[in-house]
Amino acid sequence: MAEVLLRAEDLGKTYGTVAKTVALTGVSFDLQGGEFASIIGQSGSGKSTLLNLIGLLDTPTTGRVVLNGHDTAAADRKQRAALRNDFIGFVFQFHYLLPEFSVLENVLMPGRIAGVGDADLRPRAEEVLALLGLEGLEGKGANDLSGGQKQRVAIARALMNRPALVLADEPTGNLDTLNTKAVYKLFRELNRELGTAFMIVTHDRSVAQQTDRILEVQDGILLQDVRNSSLETEPAHSV
Amino acid sequence: MLSLRIAARFLRKSPAQSILIAAGIAVGIGVQVFLGSLITSLQTSLVDQTIGNSPQVIVRAAEEGSPVDYDAGLRQALESQPQITTVVPTRAFSAIFKQGAQSAPLQVIGGQLAQLDTIYDISGRLTAGTARLGAEEVMVGTDFADTYGLKAGDTASFVLPDGEPAELTVSGVFDFGSAAANSATAFVEGALAAGVLGLGADQYTAVDAQVSNVFDSKSVAESLRAQPALSGLKVTEWQAENADLLSALQSQSSSSYMIQFFVLVAVALGIASTLAISAVQKTRQIGILKAMGMKDRQSGRIFLWQALILGVSGAAVGVGAGLALIALFTFLGRDSTSLFPITPQIGFVVISFVVGVLVAVASSLIPSRRTSKLDPIEVIQSG
Repeated sequence: MAEVLLRAEDLGKTYGTVAKTVALTGVSFDLQGGEFASIIGQSGSGKSTLLNLIGLLDTPTTGRVVLNGHDTAAADRKQRAALRNDFIGFVFQFHYLLPEFSVLENVLMPGRIAGVGDADLRPRAEEVLALLGLEGLEGKGANDLSGGQKQRVAIARALMNRPALVLADEPTGNLDTLNTKAVYKLFRELNRELGTAFMIVTHDRSVAQQTDRILEVQDGILLQDVRNSSLETEPAHSV
Repeated sequence: MLSLRIAARFLRKSPAQSILIAAGIAVGIGVQVFLGSLITSLQTSLVDQTIGNSPQVIVRAAEEGSPVDYDAGLRQALESQPQITTVVPTRAFSAIFKQGAQSAPLQVIGGQLAQLDTIYDISGRLTAGTARLGAEEVMVGTDFADTYGLKAGDTASFVLPDGEPAELTVSGVFDFGSAAANSATAFVEGALAAGVLGLGADQYTAVDAQVSNVFDSKSVAESLRAQPALSGLKVTEWQAENADLLSALQSQSSSSYMIQFFVLVAVALGIASTLAISAVQKTRQIGILKAMGMKDRQSGRIFLWQALILGVSGAAVGVGAGLALIALFTFLGRDSTSLFPITPQIGFVVISFVVGVLVAVASSLIPSRRTSKLDPIEVIQSG
């Protein structure tokens, strides 16, 4: 049985100090290493807030996140940054490539942040670029690519440091149908071939149906957490 | 050095913005170098013209008309002052020049020409005749010579302080660059002056001295006054007797410092505002770098590096531009007697460069701090 990669315990997030807005409350779940899961919910349901909390981009108002055995509740900004760099790869709706850098340099960036030299990083970067079918584009500027190519470079960048977990927030929101299908197919292949856990935020139930596990968030509450193909019949965890 | 790498790339990808900031620094430092050197050289020239060729510290007898005994004790007391570069004992008296019905008062200074030259540089300022002070010879200024049609070899008639007439041969004519000095000063041999004044071999009317830094004259005079060898003697120095000139020099320095200060403030504000705009423009990039794990301090250093690169390049160009302006000024004024030479001081140029770099780096502190505090979630939530 795979070990617990990520544990969310009673996660809650409230914005504002006077006029308080509760975005998330009492969310708990475990994610095993190598899982292929999705978070679904309507706009404003709290699914992105949940992703930001488990991605250590935001801090919970209540509860805690344990990532790969590291309790992040007491972690400072520096430690959280190091944990993100070590264990998490991010893919956002917008690619967020650095336009000042080439495709290769964008992919190298997480490794550079980790303090590894380019000579050591380059074989890995070429490997992930090849994995994503981006050979020959290494020297191109980030702005010289198509939308689909940019998102694939963003995925390559997310995979650069061999993260245990890839968090993807509406990763195909800016892509056409063809590219959307290609990206999810790629995610699945990467999950199977590399054993990387994926957690994909989407509002599209058909996309979620392609994942093995679906966590549904509604009004800031984890409504259900189920294994796919038996949605609403076979809960993965009691909620 | 990822921060440096990113900083350099950000600058390279916005060439117009980078060049404009560097140009702003260059203009500021160029003005600083040129203006600072100009004012310093102007002061040096002014000081040189006014007091450079005159005694800056003078020792006289406390009682007017009494001689100064230039003995070993006094000599040693003067020579023990490290700032004193030249000591010249002189014998000065007033004489009346007579030419027919015309007459003119003259301040006659007696001494050995070689010694007098160390202060007055009479030989170096000779315009006619020979630099020589023989037993019956006198050297006069150009304005005086022109007024009375005197030239080298002519005989000039004087009435000495004791009322006795004297006929002296004009051996040379000098130009001190000042009509007042050229019209009212003459030099004779020391023994002649001693005879006129009835002084002994070691007796003088004054002992003149020059100091390495003219603005040290006050402290040198104070130090001399405390010497036992100078008891009964009066020590004067140029600053006390030229308050207006000193005030003008100080005002000039103050105005120069003010101009340089405000130029640097303008440069600092320019850099700070441009870097602040740049920081806003790069918020998305910084945010995503932080999401990928870049630490706060590392991200903050990006703008410090940018400022350092811009500061070093801008200040270097500014120093070059300032020196080029100085060279141009010197070239244009090479044949002019009204312009003075500008001599850049290496220390001042280095300080200007360092100040330029420091101002640039200090200007980046706000954007750097802002970047350091940026939370990646702000970027990701804003989309």
